[in-house]
Amino acid sequence: MILTDKPGQQTSKEMDRENSKFEMSSLTAGVIKSVNKKKTIMRKAFILLLGLALYTTSCTFDDQVDPNAPSLNSVLSNASLQELNLLVTGTEAAMRNGFGTFCTSSGSIAREFYKFDADPRNTEDLLGKNGTQLDNNTFYLTAPYNTRYRVVKNCNILLEAVDNTDQVTAAEKDGYRGFANTVKAHMLLQVLSMLDDNGIRIDVADPENIGPFVAEGQAYNDILALLDLGFSQLSGASFAFSLSSGFDGFNTPSSFGQYNRAISAKTALYAEQWDEVTKVINTTFMDLGGPLDVGPKHVFSNSSGDIQNPLFKAAGQSGDQLVVHNDFINNATAGDARLSKFRARINTPSQDDLNGTHETALFATSTSSIDLIRNEELILIYAEASMQNGDLTEAVNAINVIRNAAGIGDYAGTVDKDSLIDELLYQRSYSLWGEGHRMFDMRRYGRLNSNFLPIDRAGDIIHTKFPVPLTEG
Amino acid sequence: MLVALLFISLQANAQFQVSGTVSDEAGETLIGVSILVKGTTRGTISDIDGNYTIDVPGSSAVLEFSYTGFKTETVEVSPSNTTLNVTLSEDITNLAEVVVTGLASTIKRSNLANAVSKVSGTELTGVTTQSSVDGALYGKLTGVNIVQSNGAPGGGIAVRLRGVSSLSGNNQPLIILDGVYITNAEIPSGSRFASGANSGTEEGSSNRIADINPADIESIEVLKGASAAAIYGTRANAGVIIITTKKGVAGKTRVTLSQDIGFNTIQNKVGRRSLDSEAEVAEVYPNDPDAPAQWAAARAAGRLFDYEDEIYGETGLISDTRLNVSGGNDKTKYFISGAYRTEDGIIKNTGYDRFTTRMNIDHKISDKLTISTTSNYVRSDASRSFTGNENEGGLSYGYTLAFTRDYVDLFPDENGVYPNNPNYAGNPIFVRDQAKNEESNNRFIQGVKLDWQALQKDNQVLRFTLNGGLDFLFNQTNVYVPETHQAQVGLDNGFIGVGKNTIFNYNYQLFGSYDYYTDGGLSFSTQAGISYLSFDRDFVLNQTTQLIPLQTNLTQGGTQEISQRLETEQEFGFIAQEQINWDDKLIATVGVRFDKSSLNGDPNKYYAFPRASLAANIANFDFWNSTDISQFKLRVAYGETGNSASFGSLFTSLSPNNINGAPGFVIRSQQGNPDLIPETSSELEFGTDLSLFDNKLGIELTYYIRNVKDLLYNRSLPSSSGFTNEIRNDLDLENTGLELGLTINPVRTSNFDWVTNVNFWFNNSEITLLGTPGNGTDAADIPSFVPPGVAFGLGLGSFYINEGTPITALWGRDANGNPTITGDTEPDFQLGWYNQFKIGKRVDFNFLTHWKQGGDVLNLSRLLTDIGGVTPENLLDLEGFIEDASYFRLREVGLYYTLPFESDYIENIRFGVSGRNLITLTDYSSYDPETSTKGGTGLSTGIEVTPFPSSRQLYFHVNFNF
Repeated sequence: MILTDKPGQQTSKEMDRENSKFEMSSLTAGVIKSVNKKKTIMRKAFILLLGLALYTTSCTFDDQVDPNAPSLNSVLSNASLQELNLLVTGTEAAMRNGFGTFCTSSGSIAREFYKFDADPRNTEDLLGKNGTQLDNNTFYLTAPYNTRYRVVKNCNILLEAVDNTDQVTAAEKDGYRGFANTVKAHMLLQVLSMLDDNGIRIDVADPENIGPFVAEGQAYNDILALLDLGFSQLSGASFAFSLSSGFDGFNTPSSFGQYNRAISAKTALYAEQWDEVTKVINTTFMDLGGPLDVGPKHVFSNSSGDIQNPLFKAAGQSGDQLVVHNDFINNATAGDARLSKFRARINTPSQDDLNGTHETALFATSTSSIDLIRNEELILIYAEASMQNGDLTEAVNAINVIRNAAGIGDYAGTVDKDSLIDELLYQRSYSLWGEGHRMFDMRRYGRLNSNFLPIDRAGDIIHTKFPVPLTEG
Repeated sequence: MLVALLFISLQANAQFQVSGTVSDEAGETLIGVSILVKGTTRGTISDIDGNYTIDVPGSSAVLEFSYTGFKTETVEVSPSNTTLNVTLSEDITNLAEVVVTGLASTIKRSNLANAVSKVSGTELTGVTTQSSVDGALYGKLTGVNIVQSNGAPGGGIAVRLRGVSSLSGNNQPLIILDGVYITNAEIPSGSRFASGANSGTEEGSSNRIADINPADIESIEVLKGASAAAIYGTRANAGVIIITTKKGVAGKTRVTLSQDIGFNTIQNKVGRRSLDSEAEVAEVYPNDPDAPAQWAAARAAGRLFDYEDEIYGETGLISDTRLNVSGGNDKTKYFISGAYRTEDGIIKNTGYDRFTTRMNIDHKISDKLTISTTSNYVRSDASRSFTGNENEGGLSYGYTLAFTRDYVDLFPDENGVYPNNPNYAGNPIFVRDQAKNEESNNRFIQGVKLDWQALQKDNQVLRFTLNGGLDFLFNQTNVYVPETHQAQVGLDNGFIGVGKNTIFNYNYQLFGSYDYYTDGGLSFSTQAGISYLSFDRDFVLNQTTQLIPLQTNLTQGGTQEISQRLETEQEFGFIAQEQINWDDKLIATVGVRFDKSSLNGDPNKYYAFPRASLAANIANFDFWNSTDISQFKLRVAYGETGNSASFGSLFTSLSPNNINGAPGFVIRSQQGNPDLIPETSSELEFGTDLSLFDNKLGIELTYYIRNVKDLLYNRSLPSSSGFTNEIRNDLDLENTGLELGLTINPVRTSNFDWVTNVNFWFNNSEITLLGTPGNGTDAADIPSFVPPGVAFGLGLGSFYINEGTPITALWGRDANGNPTITGDTEPDFQLGWYNQFKIGKRVDFNFLTHWKQGGDVLNLSRLLTDIGGVTPENLLDLEGFIEDASYFRLREVGLYYTLPFESDYIENIRFGVSGRNLITLTDYSSYDPETSTKGGTGLSTGIEVTPFPSSRQLYFHVNFNF
């Protein structure tokens, strides 16, 4: 019998029936079997591929969410009270980052101390060894610069979040704004002191449209305006957030406002706007009769996630130390209580052809606090403004408060402006030693040069400002 | 009709059988020779006695005999000659070798259109024992720049195929082991929190590729560029390394036991300034009035030391034991291996242990269905101590030794109390004896492959392959710095860091492939399939400081901090490929892969990666009648591969910043980009392969042009924005290079056989586009910048992204303070020379040399020793810190003697002596011209900061074959 193969016209079942009906040689059966097998295989293959196609189109990936941290966008729209408070705490915490390098970089330049550690640039670049200029892409500039601006960014995020939420009252919103603008201005002041007549960027809220570099004079005015804005926001505000124990006594809108005014006085001083200083100083917490150490502070601890005081150095460790410049020891007044900031070194290994007999004892432990601005500094600001405004008697009064607290008795020198300036700078150098003031004090009076500061190694130079960072383009 | 039936039966009946024996030129029978009826799918392999039997359809045919390492023979057969004994001659050019081309198919090397390097197991470990797989590849492949990051035991090597292809951290090739995508992560231990190093990449971590036992490897194929690797899609920008482990062979059970004993010593000491008189001491330390007297007192008491020798001068003992059992029958084959390696480092208390077991099984479930599994368990422990960069942690030996003075006694007194180091933040003897930086890894890799031959006819084959696998790694790190360490006292008061890191990768592929042979000599191979990958990482680091004295447990401390990092990645793609082969004369391939990845801005968008190639075997054409040149192939290939951003690049997030125990948010300094697309590398490759003089000379020459577009890079943003960097896609990079491989068999006699391999290659890069075309003139353009985190500032020397210059260049500042090129870390060229000598029947002598010419290194270790006053006199007048790091190395050398043992138990015993990195000739002034302080990622190689010194090894071997 002839076997007709009609592919597609018979089901495999029918074909099987047909196959069993007829007797045939094993050969033809083999041919038929292989044909059938091929068909079932092709069918199976087709089903497999179909299944594959269905599977591939149904395999979708979810939108990605960061499993490790909250996203910025989540706080920028309808932020909750808790989120706003987390931004405040983060901002306060971040003010401390990089501040250590701010002090050690400016302090090295001002010859307050030498930083002995493994990085040679602390005693080379910063001291202008063999005429080396400051590099615009190195840690002594980028660490303080980047960290200050990170705080500024955090403040701008807080301001934007506050504008876009309805979870807090209007008074509370002003509280956040007052906090943010004050801290922002304080950070910009620190950057401006470093960059000096290079100017700084003030408006940095939008990373796509970053504001231009503003000239020094204008920058000071912008910072003062920002502080005034913050101050006006603070009056009538209420604080829905809490600050660390460093702000004890300064954590209500009115007391925080005094901190705002203190920074304003300091800014006006750096800008040499003496009238402004005198106007503002009385709204700060300056108290000629009160304790000198009153003021808001950076606190440090060993709690989880917290940092230690970056300016604390363990006694006797020459591998990582701030070695006091010998001039401070040699020019000290006998019996000055402020000499307790210096500790005699037991071993005196040198580094890079430099040496000193004493090391820093400014902070007692790794969790000692650092003042943001204290009464002592305000009194000195008051003294300086008085001198510049011609009120020499008041200036002497203020200086005497400082001198008597240090146990060296009243001022007995000539009472004229130039002598008093010398006395002021001398007192500032010991009262505010190692806290990031001297470089700017000396520069303010044209003394940041080799006529007034020591050259320890032939070829060293004195820098007067930091360059604009390379990343600023 | 009956006639038709008869006709069918006659056709079906027309076949004849051919049988015979296959042997080599020495008369030894060859097992596993593949015999194919040319132009069909019909084939068989020779058995354990070298015999074969094959049914040949039709009335005449051509039989093709092929076997790796031997020249393929083709013989015409007809029913009149049914007994055919064949002799195969050696072919050092390995034309018959089979190479992977798609994900589920292979191709003969002689037909391959890409430059794919293959390193066999004997080339890998045949000369000397290797500690890790990546270290075993030096000099054996062209087009690859392998740079060891540091010499710590347990590895740490960067492998760059055809230049830098990515800045975003993943410059290391994709590694596939028996079909499983395995992790080659470098996991930091957290020691940076104690030492002050800037980032995890500065901790000198080992690379997890070190877990693979090199002795298990049958072959490694390296797909160097996009034209070969395109089929792997969105992970393959940096190339693909395909590792195949040994499989069982049917027949008698083979047992091999090997034992190596070796010694580890420092490769090159830098030396220290010798102080010979008080006057000299006063000259070196002019502001230390006490120093000369202290030195004199130390000399009088006999307490002058060489601290470099004290720390780095140990001779470490190495032992490597391996046992393999393999065998099987025609249905099941197995390969079982166990190995234990223990290695002491050149610093006391450092070392590396690795225990691996492996079981590979291949089983024929039926004629059509085979299953293969590979299972590998690895347990490795390393103690690497502290080296590399730091900031006043007082831990890294390079730092402490740079400032330590040889006249100061730093050894403990009779009560075990260590003195403080008066010149630096740490005492190196204390750190060596008391502090720990350890890790342990438990890893399990499992692969499975199921192969179903759905349809097999004379001229067509349809196969389905399902393969998949998983790689599970559990890594624990343990860092301990005692509370008595001088940099800890009064500050952190001790540090314990315990990391528990889990990585789980799994992947599967499902492919169908269909081969169709026509009578005219044309064959078509079609492949299509899907591939899925999933990677999961969970890194947890626990830190405790303010320790309770003498306690080493995480619970026993006042301050605890935990951080966790989670990462997930998924990728899915479908692949199709078509290969057309005309009689082995012209072979054309075209294919495409569509891939999507959860790492891209749009996780569901498919990106296409096409490929195309053409190979022409001129010597197979009929007009070719030169007997000298047996192979002359011209090839051209094009392909595209991709690389997605690293996990986290899409997100702009807030990070925690606490004060006084209260939590807070601060903006994270990296600005994320939710619209990232993968970077694509497109490569055009031209080449030629020749085989001359009876396969005694093989030449392989390739020229490639590789363009990486939309490169993902971290750009430094103006930091006044609050961000220090953002990730962008608008950078283009071009790499061009040449690869030349020569294989020569100058002498081949029964008493002396010499094969030599010369590999020569170079690569050059150029940044072709940054932002928009033109250099910084357009407002929307991106100005040149220093990539964040790759070095330590332009003042000391750094990489710099600038249109029109190489990406590997080192820049500094000129007299006016402007950035200028001061060096280039890319070598001018590299030359590897590998020689195998067989003397008589018993003696093997092999050696491999590696010459790298050019390539600069920024030596910041010397910056530190200059400040510390310990730089040796002969290095004092070197100008600047960028040095030429050219070197010539005797990388491997081995001499072996095989003693035959005609007994029932032992087949032979092999003795040998070998060495690794025994001789290095270089002008570079520090420990090793190969160095990278930032590990294997990104632009790392070429910057040195106090690494763990490299070592040389000498081994004695004994090997029993039962």
